[in-house]
Amino acid sequence: MYLALYNWLKGAAAVEMSLQQGSQPKFYANGVGRRRAEREGGARLDNKLQSGKSNSNRSSAVVGAKVGVYESPSRDRLVYLLTCLIGHPVEVHLKNGCICSGTYYTTNVEKEFAIVLKMARMTKDVSFRGQKAETLSKAPSKSLIIPGKEVVQVIAKDVSVTMDGINHELQCEKQQELMIDSFISQSRHVEVERELEPWVPDEDDRQCPELENIFDGPWNSRGWDQFETNEMLFGVKSTFDEELYTTKLKRGPDMRELEKEATRIAREIEGEDTQDLHLAEERGIHLHENLDIDEETRFSSVYRGIGIDDSGYDETEDIMLDSHNNETFGATSVSYTIEPEDLTHGKSNEGARVLSSSSLDEAQCSQSCTGADCDTGSCEYARQLASEIPLKSLSTSGCESRIQENLHGEHEGNDSVKEFVEERTVEEAQLLTREDSQSLNGKKDGSDKGALSPNATAYAPSNASSKSYEKTSSCAELSEGSLSVKGAREVQPLNSRGRPGSSTSSNSDCVGAVSVSNGPGLSPSSSVGSLSSEKSTLNPHAKEFKLNPNAKSFTPSQTPVRPPSPDGSFYFQPNVPSLPHMHGMPMGIGIGPSFTGHQPVIFNPQVAALQTPQAYFHPGGPQYGQNMLLGHPRQVLYMPSYQPQEMPYKGREF
Amino acid sequence: MEGSNNSEDFAVGCLLSIKTTLGDEFDGQVITFDRPSNILVLQEGSKPGPRRNIRFLKANYIKEFSFLGQADDPLDVKKCYIDLHTLQAREELALRQAEAEAERIGVGVTAEAQSIFDALSKTLPVRWDKTVIVVMNEVRVSSPYLPDSVSGGTSVANERVKKVIEFERKRLQARGASQ
Repeated sequence: MYLALYNWLKGAAAVEMSLQQGSQPKFYANGVGRRRAEREGGARLDNKLQSGKSNSNRSSAVVGAKVGVYESPSRDRLVYLLTCLIGHPVEVHLKNGCICSGTYYTTNVEKEFAIVLKMARMTKDVSFRGQKAETLSKAPSKSLIIPGKEVVQVIAKDVSVTMDGINHELQCEKQQELMIDSFISQSRHVEVERELEPWVPDEDDRQCPELENIFDGPWNSRGWDQFETNEMLFGVKSTFDEELYTTKLKRGPDMRELEKEATRIAREIEGEDTQDLHLAEERGIHLHENLDIDEETRFSSVYRGIGIDDSGYDETEDIMLDSHNNETFGATSVSYTIEPEDLTHGKSNEGARVLSSSSLDEAQCSQSCTGADCDTGSCEYARQLASEIPLKSLSTSGCESRIQENLHGEHEGNDSVKEFVEERTVEEAQLLTREDSQSLNGKKDGSDKGALSPNATAYAPSNASSKSYEKTSSCAELSEGSLSVKGAREVQPLNSRGRPGSSTSSNSDCVGAVSVSNGPGLSPSSSVGSLSSEKSTLNPHAKEFKLNPNAKSFTPSQTPVRPPSPDGSFYFQPNVPSLPHMHGMPMGIGIGPSFTGHQPVIFNPQVAALQTPQAYFHPGGPQYGQNMLLGHPRQVLYMPSYQPQEMPYKGREF
Repeated sequence: MEGSNNSEDFAVGCLLSIKTTLGDEFDGQVITFDRPSNILVLQEGSKPGPRRNIRFLKANYIKEFSFLGQADDPLDVKKCYIDLHTLQAREELALRQAEAEAERIGVGVTAEAQSIFDALSKTLPVRWDKTVIVVMNEVRVSSPYLPDSVSGGTSVANERVKKVIEFERKRLQARGASQ
């Protein structure tokens, strides 16, 4: 196999070199053990060693190889390093100035240190001086033995001296065996391109002309007109006619005034304030200066619903909302109720269906929505849930009522569960009045009735225990038991609603599931304040609803809400099937104790139940899943026909 | 061994600047010096990590040297162990690669011919057949490797090889001129 080296190694039985002996700094301090039998002066390789000839007769190189135990640490080191070279490309410098390159194979260490290379060639051959042009290449020698005396030095680059290094190297090299492009193209064998020089501008170039003004600058005295040039050079005539591309302007006597008018309108539009980041950018309005909105949000055309944070629930948003909530409603828990009256909190809702005061809307939706996951999330979620509910369950009365319930555990009295039956197909903007539109912030889009489901926020009564949910559609997320329904639940089942018997029972439950049914109707318009009425698509970015045990309950205030649908009836699906059971969620739909009857709180408990899951939203936290129309009072779904007399309360036991 | 003029001991870790009798000059750190074989092993470069440039120099070719300083032992003895199998594997790998490389080199051809071969091989499958470049196994380019020397193969292939050779020659000339 290998020459002496290998044998030596074997003999040494070691993977480990006994280098420990070399601890002393000086090798050759007196007394250090020296190698035995090293100086074999006569150990010269004879003429068997030939250079330049293919000679695989390795044995010839082995001259009395002795395997001995060498105590000399220096020799050990030498041998170790030589071993590290095996398989490594090396350069051997010869006495005559020639250089041989090849793969190191072995060395006759014991003797005269001959070197054997494999696949070697002379990279520098000085023997043909003056004949450079004629120098012909030679095949590499499969095996080249270089006599020790010829050797001046052996140079190896990037040698690993530790096992890890060797292993690593091997791995890398193995990978190189894969035919990667650069290997295939053999680019390393082709001559390197000429040396590159950095560009220096010509003397007459101006210093860094502005790219944008390159043709406009006053210093651009060329006055170059590309069309003229083209025509001149190539005889190409431009046939551009503006009117082909745009509306023909009526240039008549009124032109001036029209122009003025148009400019005025344009200025007005452009000067409008906007919350849209892109528009703001265009108009030079600086929104959110302090927030670090990344470039993608600022400049990308990908609509992600500004204000929606799909990345995850953010504690700060929660806090923000909470604070908003607190501002608006004080620290009391508020529960959203359909009826303005706020069953739970005694806030009276003026009959008007104003569950969500528009003022509330404004107040809340404004910023709290921004980035308030809960709002959007909940709205969307609610919507989404709603959509899941079989269509038939929803009639298209267009009344949206959204019950939003704060899942505040601690809000006991707030059993204001308003469920909003959301007619998926209904696009009417039934307002959902809800107190504490906080959670509804931004989502309100009264117009998106269709998207009621979010409105059908399920409220879990704080006294959760009392409610049971049977939501056929399971709002898994909402099923967290911690959901507490606040306040009264107002269930105003409409007669028109085909409330199945089960509904009653289900009614008594939190309608958490209500929201489920609202899916399709819900539009993903969870952006702040920009809900459109017909959004009925689910928000793909909607986050999953997560019940927030700390959710405050919503108490609708008296803000005016959108006028109910023309038909003035409750929006509600007569044939709402049994309420989806929302297990775990103690939400219920119902009218709070303070419901006086003509509160605009209504809803089809079943539907509500269906919708509850989505409807439930927590003002303070974005756990609601997507489709939760939180915070936007307008989105509170509400049944216009909440007049109790119109909508007999059915089966709600509170 | 040849007589060593140098009887000084080289301590491990010394930084030396050396001039050889052949005119090489370099600096390095002593890893070891084996007196019996009179070989000085130096480490060059300051790259940390397991990879180093190593030079084995026969001490008798040292014309002069100067001591630059003393540093620690560059070899971490505790980590020095080798697995022979790994080495063998590496060697085999290297040999395979070397053989593949050797295929590329024409025997008995001028350097210019070799560079043309290299240029062609960037985009076309080429191999040597004695002193003839065989492209795609059908087109043959023989000495002096001019566009005129292209023969064989389909006309399309032939044309293509001609064009490539022309282009490469121009490029080589340009490069040669600018150098």
